[in-house]
Amino acid sequence: MILLDSVTKKYPGDNEPALDSVSLHIEPNEFVFLVGKSGAGKSTLMKMITKEEIPDSGKIIIGGIDLDYVKKRDIPGYRRRLGVVFQDFKLLPRRTVYENVAFALEIAGMSGKEIRKTVPKVLELVDLLDQAKKFPGQLSGGQQQRVSIARSVARQPKILIADEPTANLDKLTTEEIMGLLKKINDFGTTILVTTHNENIVNTLQKRVVTMKDGKIVNDQKNNGVYELSEARVPVRRVQTPGHALKQKKKVILS
Amino acid sequence: MTKDLDKSEKIKHVSKSSLKTMRRTYKRNIAREKARIVKYGTRGFSRNIWLSTAATVVMAFTLIILFATVVASVILTNTAELMKDKIDITIYLKPGTSAEALAELTETIKKDPNIKSVVTSTSEEEYAKFLEDNAGSEDIINVLDEEMTALMIDKMQATMRIKVYNIDNLDSIKKLVATEKNFVQNIDEEKAPTYDVNQVEIATITSWARIARTGGIALGVVFLVVSILIIFSTIRMAIFSRREEIYMMKLVGADKSFIRGPFLIEAEICGLISGLIAATISYAGFEFVAPKLSRYGVDISTISNVLHSNRLVLVYLVFIAVGVIIGRISARMAVSKYLNKA
Repeated sequence: MILLDSVTKKYPGDNEPALDSVSLHIEPNEFVFLVGKSGAGKSTLMKMITKEEIPDSGKIIIGGIDLDYVKKRDIPGYRRRLGVVFQDFKLLPRRTVYENVAFALEIAGMSGKEIRKTVPKVLELVDLLDQAKKFPGQLSGGQQQRVSIARSVARQPKILIADEPTANLDKLTTEEIMGLLKKINDFGTTILVTTHNENIVNTLQKRVVTMKDGKIVNDQKNNGVYELSEARVPVRRVQTPGHALKQKKKVILS
Repeated sequence: MTKDLDKSEKIKHVSKSSLKTMRRTYKRNIAREKARIVKYGTRGFSRNIWLSTAATVVMAFTLIILFATVVASVILTNTAELMKDKIDITIYLKPGTSAEALAELTETIKKDPNIKSVVTSTSEEEYAKFLEDNAGSEDIINVLDEEMTALMIDKMQATMRIKVYNIDNLDSIKKLVATEKNFVQNIDEEKAPTYDVNQVEIATITSWARIARTGGIALGVVFLVVSILIIFSTIRMAIFSRREEIYMMKLVGADKSFIRGPFLIEAEICGLISGLIAATISYAGFEFVAPKLSRYGVDISTISNVLHSNRLVLVYLVFIAVGVIIGRISARMAVSKYLNKA
């Protein structure tokens, strides 16, 4: 579902690359945590997936599409296939909760009738139906993040990526949001979440990919735990260039 | 490994067909999209009421200045032309020059392309005019007995009053009057033509007319540029405060036209309202100032004719069109700046 092969990215003016030959393969319906300290390259990796950034070298294949073939005019359409949740919610401040969710459907060309049917269902999923007429500024951080999630899943994407979705939230709200993401994953959506939060990673016991200095230093397939301390990072499986591709190629070519 | 991947026609095929499907399945309905753009544009205008009001006021103010510049230019030019039109050159002919001789001289001088009109007057007609001008003066009327009248008619020059198209170029007329046989025979040597008498006034008025015309155009262009810059900056500031919104819309996959549309509509609404306000204020302002200007002999007829006819609707439409066009261009440029970034 998500495949990165030997992806390297260096920003102009930086001495070290933000991503250094990163290879990663995420299967459909997987729930993956991407952990690492600030500057480890997590956000750059996310930006590669949303095609906000373009790699200097390497391949990225998302949902069967090689991003090299996604031209500028295709970017909006490609992004509509993804669900994206941001740390700072990125809601439209001058539009109501209902309109924010509806916006995701409108840009996909959905009819008014379909939108009127879909939005209440999605808002119900995130338990915000009663807040539909409020503006984002009138909601708590947790509620805003739930709107953001509602917006990202309204189009029923196969992939949902969340960049530090709980960074600005308290413990209780964090659990709530993670519960919601897990529920969405149970519906069949592949989820990639970047986080700093040790508790949620350890509680959910999903696959954990650890990044450091632009490299993947650890990839714990099942029941992964959060281990950021350098001394404690067990380098169980550092992927070599092409490793992810070999696996993915089997799937694509079969 | 990447090289292997490049060779992989299968991946290329899968990607390209997925993209093709993606484009095909996007149910783009232009009418629906336009309706949504208008809906969000009008909602945006009312939800950003303070910014919208500020932009509208600035735009209305600059449109009024623009109108005032155009009106001033037209009025100044018209007034200068009117004054120039009042100036004539008088050629004095010997007393007793007959009407036939005057007609002949008229024919001769009219051959000059600079001649606009010629009005002649015999000695008798000049005397009649003298009486008319002095009708209220009893001291003069009382002394004009038959003998005195005959003496005056004998002494009064016949005149030829000429209006020209170009007051700056009288050389050919001067030459004609000085050398043409008929003129040489009939011209009164005691009283020279008035080419030079009004020279200073003519020069002053001519230069004023020129300044009004060229200065008016230059000022108009300057004001137009300044107005566009002011309106552009105002709208750009309004959009600058919402650049994050543009970025968010891009990230969730909105097309450029769908992001840009509501901003353009908002700016167009600003333009429309400011056009209406500016036209109304300008009209009322002109109505207030016009009588005062008229009293000073300023020619307001052209503007007055336009504003007091069906063309007033056209004036309103021009105001609105200018506002909407400037608003749209400014918004488009400002949004593009942030649209192309993300």
